[in-house]
Formats: sequence, C-alpha cells, structure tokens
Amino acid sequence: MRFELLQPRSFQEALEMKKNYRERAKVLAGGTDLLVLLKDGKLKAEAVMSLGGVGELNFIRSEDGGGATLGALVSHRGVALSPVMQQRFPDLAEACSQVGAVQIQNLGTVGGNICNASPAADTAPPLMLMEALLTLASTRGERRVPINDFFRGPRHTVLEPDELLKEIFLPQVSGRRGATYLKLGRREAMEIAIVGIGVAVHLNGSDQLVSECRIAMGSVAPTPVRASAAEGVINNKEVTNELIDEVAEVAAEAARPISDVRASAEYSMDMIRVLCRRAIHNALLRARNRKVEGHS
Amino acid sequence: MKIPVRLNVNGETYELVIAPYRTLVDVLREEIRLTGSKKGCDVGDCGACTVLMDGKPVNSCLVLAATAQDKEIVTIEGLAQNGKLHPLQEAFIKEGAVQCGFCTPGVLMSLKALVDDNPAPTPEDVKIAMAGNLCRCTGYSKIFKAVAAATRQP
Repeated sequence: MRFELLQPRSFQEALEMKKNYRERAKVLAGGTDLLVLLKDGKLKAEAVMSLGGVGELNFIRSEDGGGATLGALVSHRGVALSPVMQQRFPDLAEACSQVGAVQIQNLGTVGGNICNASPAADTAPPLMLMEALLTLASTRGERRVPINDFFRGPRHTVLEPDELLKEIFLPQVSGRRGATYLKLGRREAMEIAIVGIGVAVHLNGSDQLVSECRIAMGSVAPTPVRASAAEGVINNKEVTNELIDEVAEVAAEAARPISDVRASAEYSMDMIRVLCRRAIHNALLRARNRKVEGHS
Repeated sequence: MKIPVRLNVNGETYELVIAPYRTLVDVLREEIRLTGSKKGCDVGDCGACTVLMDGKPVNSCLVLAATAQDKEIVTIEGLAQNGKLHPLQEAFIKEGAVQCGFCTPGVLMSLKALVDDNPAPTPEDVKIAMAGNLCRCTGYSKIFKAVAAATRQP
C-alpha cells in the first residue's frame, strides 16, 4: 500500500483536487473499506484524498417540517446516537447501529457507505425507503440525484470522476409512518449482511389500512433495490397475514441473490421472505404506536 | 516521499517524518515505540489495535497516521494516571480477566470509552461496546465480571 496523500482543508479545495486528479485519486472518508481494499491489493491508487480535514461536511441538520440533512461525512455512530435521527428516521439509525461494531461506526461515514456502492450497504435500504436526495458536487456546480437512481452496479455509481457527494437530504416523514431495517448475518455484530430488508408503512385512519408501503432490500442483487411490485400488493389494502405472506413472495421474486461465501442463493431467498414478513410486522407495530398525526 | 506529521498521543506531542500511507497502529508501535496497541488482523475485524481518538474508540489499523494529526489519541499506555492503574485495569487483574493478553489493550480501550459515557453499564451495554473486540482465549465472562466489579455502585 503506497500512495500520495491529499489532505484538503475545505470542501472547495477537495473539489479542486478531484477535478485535477479525477479517477487517479481515491476518496478516503472513514477508511473502513478503502484501506482494507488497498492493503489487500484489490485496489491500486496513485493518490488517496482524505476528507478528514473537511469538517464542514460532518453534520446532522434537522429541517423545518420534519426532514433532515446529513453531511456526507457524518459517522454511523453519529447517526445511531442522534435523538433527531432516532425519532424521525429510526430505520436509518438502526441500520447505522448495525454496521460493523463501535470502532467501525466511529470511523465509517454514511456518505462513504453509499459511495462505496456495495450491494450490502446497510444504510442504502433505509435511504431508499425515504427516497433521499443526494447532492453531488463538482467545480462545475451541484446536482441532486434521488438515491434510487444513484447505484449502477457493484461499487459503481453515477458519480462523475470529478464529483463528490456533499450531502444527503431526507425528506420529511409525516403521518403515522413506521419504518424498520432488519439485517441477517451469522452473528449480531461485525457482519456483512446476508440479507438486509427495510420496510416503511403509512397507515391511513384505521390500524389495518396501509396507504403506502415501501420495501428496499440489500445484498439480494447487484445493487440495493426497491421491491416495487411487492409494494403494489399491499398499498391501500387491509392488512392480513395472508397478504403479508403474498408481499414477501413477490418481494423475493424481485431478488437475484448469488451463492457466495456468506450464504447460498436458496437460503438467501428463504431469508428474504422471512425478513420481509418480520419487517412489515415491525413497521406496522411502530406505525400503530404513532397515534399523533404529523411528526413530533 | 515522507511527510511531517505531528501526533498527540497520551498528552505528549510527537514530531515525526513518515510515509503518508502508514497506519496509526504501525506508527504508534514502530515510530513512537508504544507497543501496547496490538496488530492482529490489520483489517478492522479483531479490535486488538483499538485506541481512543478524541475520546472515541477506533481501529488504529484503519486510520492513516497522517490523518490523525490534530486528534487526541489515547493508547493503553495512557490509561493509568500518575502511576495509578485505571479501575478497569485493577478489576481485570483482580478478576483474572487477562489470559494470553493480546486482546486486552484493545478491550480495555473499548471499555474505557464505554464507562466514560456510561458509568453504570448493563451486561448488554458491555456486549455492544465489546462486539468489535475478539478474544481468542474466549475469556469473555471474566471480562464481563471485571467490568461489573469496576463499575459497581457503592
């Protein structure tokens, strides 16, 4: 592992450097993935640009109306322990608290987790549930990309060679919304997900009528994916156990897991069904416990 | 090309000239000669290299030393104060929570961060705090006993 180290002191300086170096500079946020790849020799880098000095991107800002903005460099631990995030976006807080263990959560960043574009990224399913908007910046300007359009393939995103992720906007969640993220690994900590499932439901009036359901899955396809067909099965329906079984079946049909060192494809398919059912029940319970209209 | 790096470790300032790709654990051990922090897996799985950076436990094998400039680093060597062991260290000795000892420095740094935030942790809190520290001797139950002893309310 040998490289030139770039240490910009501001985001503007980082953008200038990225413009000059483009693909030749790999971006180091928390380092929990990049340094492992570099040490293994799985990745070669002429230069590494550490964003550690760009403190301006380490923030959680709650927005008027119930949304929030995360700076790209906020750590997993920062999100997991944030009262605002626990209250408004418990699914994302849960996902962040399940990344690695405490030491990894202190180093690793949400922005890094997303830009790394692992199919197993724990923060991806919750961010897809809330349809987060990513602000991508370069010296040419900024653009906003919905997270659902961000991933292109394993470790591949729509980021241009001169672009950096600046912030992540989480739109307001309102009404009786319940959301959860469930992760299956061989043990509770230090795991890469065999399957990760996020579910968010909105209840309208009755405790039984789901006005909107969103399902996002990790580790089941080349990128994190939404299970749109499965969402359609439950939207605007009275919830029954049979209906939830059907949703889980349809969600599994959207998955294309591969057999790898962690699990066989067959096992993964079974677990998608199990986790999907469990996550829907969990999300419903949370939504039902939220009696007050609007966020708080 | 080597670069100048200033590190603050256990309250001391070290002016070093090192290669920019060297990790904190290597620089602590090989340059500053603080060999208490151990290098186990070198990929962030085992926790043997855990140190505190601005009060938070991190894997020092996943930190480039040059990016740790401006941070306050505390290693196992900085845990005792004025020649007096930390209550966790005392409890580890008393409860026999050290077997081969390789994981102990990292474990103690994780637990120090825990009790700094939460002076009366439950066994569940200890489990979460220690999830990133592996003990090949599987001496976990004595470690749990030691934490309970060190944090027992009077």
